[in-house]
Amino acid sequence: MTLYLPIAELSMNIFFVIGMGAIVGFLSGMFGVGGGFLMTPILIFSGVPPLIAVSTESNEITAASVSGVIGHWRRNGVDVKMGGMLVAGGGLGAVLGVEVLSLLESIGQSELIIKLAYFFFLGTVGSLMFWESMRSIYRQRTGYVPPPINREDRHKAWIHTLPFKMRFRKSRLYISALLPIGIGFVVGILSGIMGVGGGFIMVPAMIYILGMPTNVVVGTSLFQIIFVTAVVTINQSVSNQSVDVLLAVLLLLGAVIGAQFGVRAGAKLKGEQLRGLLALMVVLVGIKFGYDLVVEPTTLHSVATVANAGGH
Amino acid sequence: MRALFKIGKRWLWAISALFVISFASNALVLDLSNRRIEIRYSFDGADIILFGTVGSSAEGSINDPFDIVVVVRGPEEATIVRRKEKLGFIWVNGSSLEFPAAPGYYAVAANQPLAHIAGRDDLAAAGIGFENLRLAYDAGPGKATLLPEFKQALFDLRTDQGLFRQEEDSVTMIGEGLFRMDVHLPANVPVGEFQVDAFVFQDGVFKDRARIPLVVDKEGFERAVYNYAHDYPLFYGLTAVLIALGAGWIAGVVGKK
Repeated sequence: MTLYLPIAELSMNIFFVIGMGAIVGFLSGMFGVGGGFLMTPILIFSGVPPLIAVSTESNEITAASVSGVIGHWRRNGVDVKMGGMLVAGGGLGAVLGVEVLSLLESIGQSELIIKLAYFFFLGTVGSLMFWESMRSIYRQRTGYVPPPINREDRHKAWIHTLPFKMRFRKSRLYISALLPIGIGFVVGILSGIMGVGGGFIMVPAMIYILGMPTNVVVGTSLFQIIFVTAVVTINQSVSNQSVDVLLAVLLLLGAVIGAQFGVRAGAKLKGEQLRGLLALMVVLVGIKFGYDLVVEPTTLHSVATVANAGGH
Repeated sequence: MRALFKIGKRWLWAISALFVISFASNALVLDLSNRRIEIRYSFDGADIILFGTVGSSAEGSINDPFDIVVVVRGPEEATIVRRKEKLGFIWVNGSSLEFPAAPGYYAVAANQPLAHIAGRDDLAAAGIGFENLRLAYDAGPGKATLLPEFKQALFDLRTDQGLFRQEEDSVTMIGEGLFRMDVHLPANVPVGEFQVDAFVFQDGVFKDRARIPLVVDKEGFERAVYNYAHDYPLFYGLTAVLIALGAGWIAGVVGKK
């Protein structure tokens, strides 16, 4: 059964769309990630114009993050004050990201920046995650326990020299507000350009740079993603009219179903194994984008209509 | 006639209309089974039927045998063709050529191969065939040298998408001056105004031509969503976010149980 998508201006099989959502939902439920970094590439590979894919996926991530944050909220796992700072930076970054993408779209280079960003960030983050999980698996086998780090020594010295210090009670931190604003800003830019929530950058940054306790990290990151992807959605709607609500709702439907099975499958695996597998997947997606950039394309030419850039 | 009635009841009106019109003074008369294609949620492309009849006119009559060429062309939109070029290690969009008004759909059909119907010059004079389409392009340094390659690329890419169908469909001669053609509009057909042109050739000489308009447009929900997104983009964005918040909340509450 085919369905005509009014903004993407193409017909897609409804079960294929829900199926894509379900597969990504399964993986995101299994690994506890948003899945934007998988969904947007899959949409692009299945023929949705890159700009429509990026914008529509932002809309879907808003919904997915709301459903994700409910559980964390009940468990008291959201630091609203820290989240607010991340949103402040993230909103600015998202606006900048969308502007940069729109500008590049007008000169025909949006595809390049999207592919480069995917290659660089997924390649780097995936490799680091993979290395980290391999190390912890190795340490477990050999019985090595790393010496505990003193809570006072979590931060590098330069972090304490920053001004505008603020107390974040739920995260038990007293640090400069510039840090979460800066992290949010970088993640916001990526969110606008790549059509992702940016959890894969934000979560490590919250743990290793801010030193937040792990029980509030995921909830707070989801909290930020809701607002930043909402800003991206509104911005893309205004600048490019490239958000397809119908596509987003169908993807969400699939993702919700898939996530239920993913969570059960994930419970059967150990934490390190899960992280290692996730890392491998992230690296593979990154390599795929890098490969596409380096290898001579089968068709050198591409065609686009100018009035509605990116679409038909 | 009996063979004609077998075609089906839904075309009867079209055929009977043709017999009425064919007493008019034009030697060539056309009609479409549907002059307005509506894109709705289940749109998966459309097949419409072009009917035509060739007969007598004030200037004289055209009798069998004759040849028919049909050109269907779609909305003209500013279109840009880009070429990937190697920059260091990676392939990047490099040279580009913009056509301010390139058809989004272009189909040529005839009752036999074009080369058998008329000479190259006659076809070019009538503007039949993509190679004879005069496409304006945005001038600039070195752009003229790109034209042949980029025009061919446009043709190839749109042919792959099923939007350019040069001599892929054919015109069926029914007899007694009547002919028909099945026009295939794929699912990715652009919306806008189309023109269907039919040309009559006899012994390689152009005799007559006629035109009939065709409109492809989004309707109902699809049209409403598209208009809303383009006329009120800010409210569309806000609505999209509200839908996402609502859907996400429902999914979160239902999913956790």
